[in-house]
Formats: sequence, structure tokens, C-alpha cells
Amino acid sequence: MTITRIKLENFTVFESLDLEPSPGINVLVGANGTGKTHLMKVCYAALASSGDGGPASNFYYKLRGCFLPHNRNLLRLIKRGDPDKTAWLDIFRGDSFVKGKLHKSIGGLTVLAGAQASDDWNFSPLLATYIPSKDILANAPGFRSLYSAREVHFEETYIDILDRAYLPALRNPGEFVPAQILEKLEATLGGKVTIHGEEFFLSDKQGEIEFTLLAEGLRKLGLLWLLIRNGSLRPGAVLFWDEPETNLNPKLYGVVIEVLLELQRIGVQVFLATHDYVILKELDLQTEEGDKVAFHSLYRSEETGEIVCRSTNSFLQIHPNAISEVFDSIYDRDVRRALEGIVK
Amino acid sequence: MTVFVEGDLQMVIDDALDARRFDGPGHGMSHCMKAVDFIVDLPELYLFMEFKDPEHPMSRQVDRQAFVQSFFSGEIDEDLKYKFRDSFLYEWAAGRADKPVRFYVLVALEELTTFNLQARTQSLRSKLPASGPSSWKRPIAEDCAVFNLASWNGRFPDFQVSRLSTQP
Repeated sequence: MTITRIKLENFTVFESLDLEPSPGINVLVGANGTGKTHLMKVCYAALASSGDGGPASNFYYKLRGCFLPHNRNLLRLIKRGDPDKTAWLDIFRGDSFVKGKLHKSIGGLTVLAGAQASDDWNFSPLLATYIPSKDILANAPGFRSLYSAREVHFEETYIDILDRAYLPALRNPGEFVPAQILEKLEATLGGKVTIHGEEFFLSDKQGEIEFTLLAEGLRKLGLLWLLIRNGSLRPGAVLFWDEPETNLNPKLYGVVIEVLLELQRIGVQVFLATHDYVILKELDLQTEEGDKVAFHSLYRSEETGEIVCRSTNSFLQIHPNAISEVFDSIYDRDVRRALEGIVK
Repeated sequence: MTVFVEGDLQMVIDDALDARRFDGPGHGMSHCMKAVDFIVDLPELYLFMEFKDPEHPMSRQVDRQAFVQSFFSGEIDEDLKYKFRDSFLYEWAAGRADKPVRFYVLVALEELTTFNLQARTQSLRSKLPASGPSSWKRPIAEDCAVFNLASWNGRFPDFQVSRLSTQP
């Protein structure tokens, strides 16, 4: 079972958020500072700490690693303003749940009042993958050993995605995902990804190209190929992808969306944060009947000044749509120029 | 008021404005030259106007789909480009190319977003073209813009367009 409900109170930018995501693709849109990445990270931290059989407080360690608050102080994740506030973080997978609480007690002492999790949360792992907006694969050699030996200020999502990428391929990569998805990615990439030591290469007929020499957009597709091939993206898994459009040529958006829709069809839950109109439009154009796509618009309420979320299944009903508003503004200014001197 | 009707679309213009239907029986060269629908003669400018109405209630679904396809693929720019250029040449030959010309296109298709309109405007601008080499003394087209019904009426209070089939 994938994520069915996300309930956050007084957490980072959120005063109160209660979201029931789609089991398919969830697209988070909103201006900078509306909490899209925070929402994905808190869910990822919850899922990544599931199934390890350890205490629910492992959730906190994962939160620390993913958010990297100053001095690793989780209380910095409590919504700013009222020092006596308590942050609540509840993530549900059907009846299974983890509930976190961040609370600053009197005198400012740090109190992490017991995270609770249902038994199946602790003992039934849910496969989660988080792709950060910036690529790390090109800089992978030596990064894991550096990260384990030294205090380097990198979010844990970077080391996690490397761990995922290094996983060996499944014996039968087509076991979970239709073979044509991998073939589609290979055709777009013009080859396959190989790993020597800790270094990634794109291998084609002419030889091997190290990732440092490969366009970042292609590295992203290569990562997606690896994750599918090694079973990280399989039925029941959850993928979080922060701004897939970053450094990706818009011509490749169609392939990315095609692959994500296919993954959704086999039961992968996907969360995307995007600022890009073409990503939204590709989803709109490629969605078929039966696909489960939800758009969640995060915005600051004019009445309360707080971040709120409005969800819809229809591209045209996304409102407010921070991305479209940019085009409205550009069109408006452009047309005004074309009408200069005619219209008052 | 002067009323121009183009299919199911009706444009109402104040009598004080000098406007004429261009693509009509008086054109006389339609066998070899394309023509924009209307020309408005302002003191400092000519406005060429072209109306496209894929949502005409009598239009067939297949034609509507073909139009949508040509709009989104950019194919429509070719048609618009030649309409503008031929009309420009016609007016030049008639001795009326004495002021800058702007080209405004109304596409009565509700589903068009500002992104779509902006993309077509930008593409059309480069194809007319709205700018040329430094040796040109004047541009062929001073500027252009593509509108849907709502954005047209929102910006042209003097050239309001409505749909005849929805009028009481």
C-alpha cells in the first residue's frame, strides 16, 4: 500500500496540511517557498525509515539527514513564529502509519516526544526512492566513503540515491516493468549505463562515455533506467522526484512522462515537484483513461497568509497555477507591446 | 455602428473608424493571392485582422480536429504568413502601404491557453517576419499577436467580437 494520507501541522512552512495523494502520479506545483520539496522529503523520510524493525524514532534520524537543519536540530523544522508550537507529522499507508511530534518544551529544551508507528510500519518495508533536483552520479566516485567518514554537508537523499543506483540489476529486469520502458530509455539514451568501481558510464556502440562528460539530462534518464532495472521502481514502490526538468532538454520531457505514466500503471506511486509548464502539459496529453494523476497546487492563502493545498485530477482545473500565471503575465505583456498606441 | 460578420463571428466597430472587409468579392485577386479578413485604417497604422473559427457550430468535428492539429503543430503559421504578405503586397500595389502594419489574429477556440497563444504569437512574429536585416528601412510587419475570443474582447473594446449563434 502506498501513501494514502499526509497530515502536517506546524511543520516548516505548513501550519496545517491534510493531503490524500493519488496512488498514481502526484504533481506538486507552487511558487518557491510553498513547501513542495519539504512535503516530499518528510514523506520520503517516513517511508525510508519504515520496515527496519527499529524504533519509530528512526524517522527523526532520517528527517535530520534529509532536511539538514542547522546543528542537526530538528526543532528548527517547527514552523517559525510561535516558540511553544508543536509540529505533528502523520504519514499513513492505509491503516499503517507513523506519527511524529516535534516539541520545544519550557525553557527551550529539546524534546522529541515519542514517534509512534504501527507494527506493520516498523516491520513491513516500503520501497522509496528520492531523486534530488541536482545530479550526484557524475560525482559519485569516492562520495560514499567520504560521506561515511566525514561530516559533509550533503542531504542524505544524495547518498541514498547513489546507494539505489549502485544496486545490481535484477536477474530478470522485465519481471516488474514492461521491457519496452527500458528499451525506450535505451533508445533515447543511445546506450546503456554501466558501472566500473564507483564510476558511471554510458555504454554505446562506440565505447563508454563517463558521466562527467555526459549531459546532465541524459544522466537523469540513465538514473531512471538504473532504478527500473534494479527493481527500485517496481509495484508498490514510491518515487519522489524533485524538479525532473532541471537541466533536462524539453524534448526529453515526453519520454520522462511516458516512463512515469507506465510506472504508475504497474503500481508505482510517484510524487513530482515541478515548475515547468511542459511537464504538466505532457502529463495532460499523455494521460490515458484509467491513469491516476492528481495535481496539488500549493499556495499562500490571501486570507490567512498560510500555505494551503488545492488538489484536482484535471490539468485545466489546477488553481492557482503558479506556472500558468507566469505565461499569463508574459502573454499579457507581449500583447500589450503588440497593441501599443492602439488600446488605452 | 458597422457590423462585420465572418461565419458565426460578428465584429461591431464604431462608424468613426475606417474599417473594411478585405477578403470578399471586391478583392478580385483571390485566384492568386490570399487575403486577411479585415483591414482597419487608423491615423498612424493599418491593422490587418484575421478570424479563425474552428468552433463554428456548423463545423464538422473532423475539420475542427484538423484545425487544432494545425494550430498546435504550427502549420497554421504558414497560412497566416501568406495571408499577411499577400495582403501587404496587394495594399502596396494599391498605393496604401504608407503606414506601419500590424497583424492581429483571432482564433475562436476556447481551449487555448495563454501559453498556446504566446507560442503562436512568437512563432508568427518570426515568420511574417516582424523584423529584418539592418538594411531594411521599415519592417514588413510592425508586430503581431494571436488571441482567443476572451483575450481579444478584453483588449479591444473598440472591436468587440461575439458569436452569432449564442445571441438571443
